[in-house]
Amino acid sequence: MSKKISILLKMLVFPAAVMLVTGTLGSMTGAQAATQSGSKIEQLTQSMSYAEYQKRYEKYYGNFTAQMAENGNPADFLIDDGKDLANKVVGSKGKSCASCHGKDALKLKGAATTFPKYNAKLKGVMTLALQINTCLKNQMGAKPLKYESYDQLALTLYVKSLSNGMPIQVSIDGPAKPFYEKGKIAYYKRHGQLNFSCAICHVKYAGYKARSNLISNNKHHADHWPCYRLKWGKTGSLQRRFRGCMKNMRVKKPPFQSEELRNLELYLTYIDNGDRIQVPGMRM
Amino acid sequence: MKVMDRVDLRRNLGLLAGVVVFFMIAVMPVWAGAGNGNAKKGEKIVKTRKLGNCVACHYLPNVESPGNIGPNLVEVMQGYTLADRKDVTQWIRDARKFNPHTIMPPFGTNKILTPKQINDVVAYLYTLKK
Ligand code: HEC
Ligand code: HEC
Repeated sequence: MSKKISILLKMLVFPAAVMLVTGTLGSMTGAQAATQSGSKIEQLTQSMSYAEYQKRYEKYYGNFTAQMAENGNPADFLIDDGKDLANKVVGSKGKSCASCHGKDALKLKGAATTFPKYNAKLKGVMTLALQINTCLKNQMGAKPLKYESYDQLALTLYVKSLSNGMPIQVSIDGPAKPFYEKGKIAYYKRHGQLNFSCAICHVKYAGYKARSNLISNNKHHADHWPCYRLKWGKTGSLQRRFRGCMKNMRVKKPPFQSEELRNLELYLTYIDNGDRIQVPGMRM
Repeated sequence: MKVMDRVDLRRNLGLLAGVVVFFMIAVMPVWAGAGNGNAKKGEKIVKTRKLGNCVACHYLPNVESPGNIGPNLVEVMQGYTLADRKDVTQWIRDARKFNPHTIMPPFGTNKILTPKQINDVVAYLYTLKK
């Protein structure tokens, strides 16, 4: 428990320092990225540095969510149950995750740091949740788990927790490149009745308030999911969060693990390269 | 004769009152600084989430925790005169005319609000002029 407290505190207090150390502050901002890939991407300047955004966050919300998480993050239950599920035999082949990945699937320590990643069979981006469902289906002869179901979130969260504290290192080179580019285009694309894009809020107006909601900076968007969200009263995935913003944007929500959402997940996770995985998160 | 006089007087008073009321109704919007449009309805529209929801981004009076993405609209309106009504309307209809990279939704072009509703919003905005 005390280890968790310190991790959570670090999550709030030190990310700026971590970013400076890993040298990602300058190179990964949306604004800079926008200059690299040509005319399709709207040129938007970053509203403020991550450190400045963080100052505003602390002034506005204090360490309210960190304090709540200290008293126990409800998502911790999913991690415990995910561990049990990893050892449970399911499907026609009589296997569990542990059959291939060792007791408690401990051989998967570090695996989550490279997700999402290009997958040749899929000819696209493989996310951790999709990988788990693919294993269930192809390796174990079991039914894939419904996205956002308790068991699917529990397994994803458990496997990800094995990489807690390890730096994210997704690749956007080689065959992954076009999917990263597509994710970025989707992030900057204006659409829906309100003509918003993800970037207009999370790059140009990060740190400003949409009514009473502080708009988050897109740095550190991908390092703490699946996450317990107070507004949901539930643990959910990064893609569920994407779809929440899409609903507010009045655009048609793509299905879970659709190509668009997987590309977006790669784009946002790459921004967090070098940042440490910290699951489960806790957010308003 | 006296009775006739009184009736005439009443008629004339009625007529006079009618004219006054008519005149008041006719000039009321101008008087409210609006040209036309219903400021009361406009106020409702700017504060309703499913309609204008201007308060998501702009400060407006008597709203709990308005956003701060856009400028304070009370301050903004001090800079506009009645002659600028077309510009104020255009900002709401489609702000991209003034700023192609605006975050402000094109309320008219994308049919978020009807022309009549936009007119009501403009009428409301002019009531903010001190
Ligand atoms: C009009 C503004 C707006 C737009 C457009 C928008 N968002 Fe958000 N987003 C927000 C706000 C405000 C929050 C934080 C709300 C809260 O939970 O308090 C948020 C939160 C998030 C989070 C969670 C951050 C965290 O710390 O966990 C993610 C991820 C996210 N948005 C992704 C997206 C993506 C992807 C898109 C486009 C598909 C998008 N957003 C479009 C306003 C926006
Ligand atoms: C999502 C954010 C957002 C919403 C919603 C929004 N605005 Fe704006 N508005 C802005 C921003 C930002 C500006 C500053 C100019 C710019 O960046 O394009 C602006 C500018 C304006 C201006 C011109 C200000 C000037 O300097 O002359 C007016 C008038 C205005 N808004 C009125 C409204 C009204 C009325 C509504 C609702 C019907 C509304 N806005 C909804 C963000 C928004």
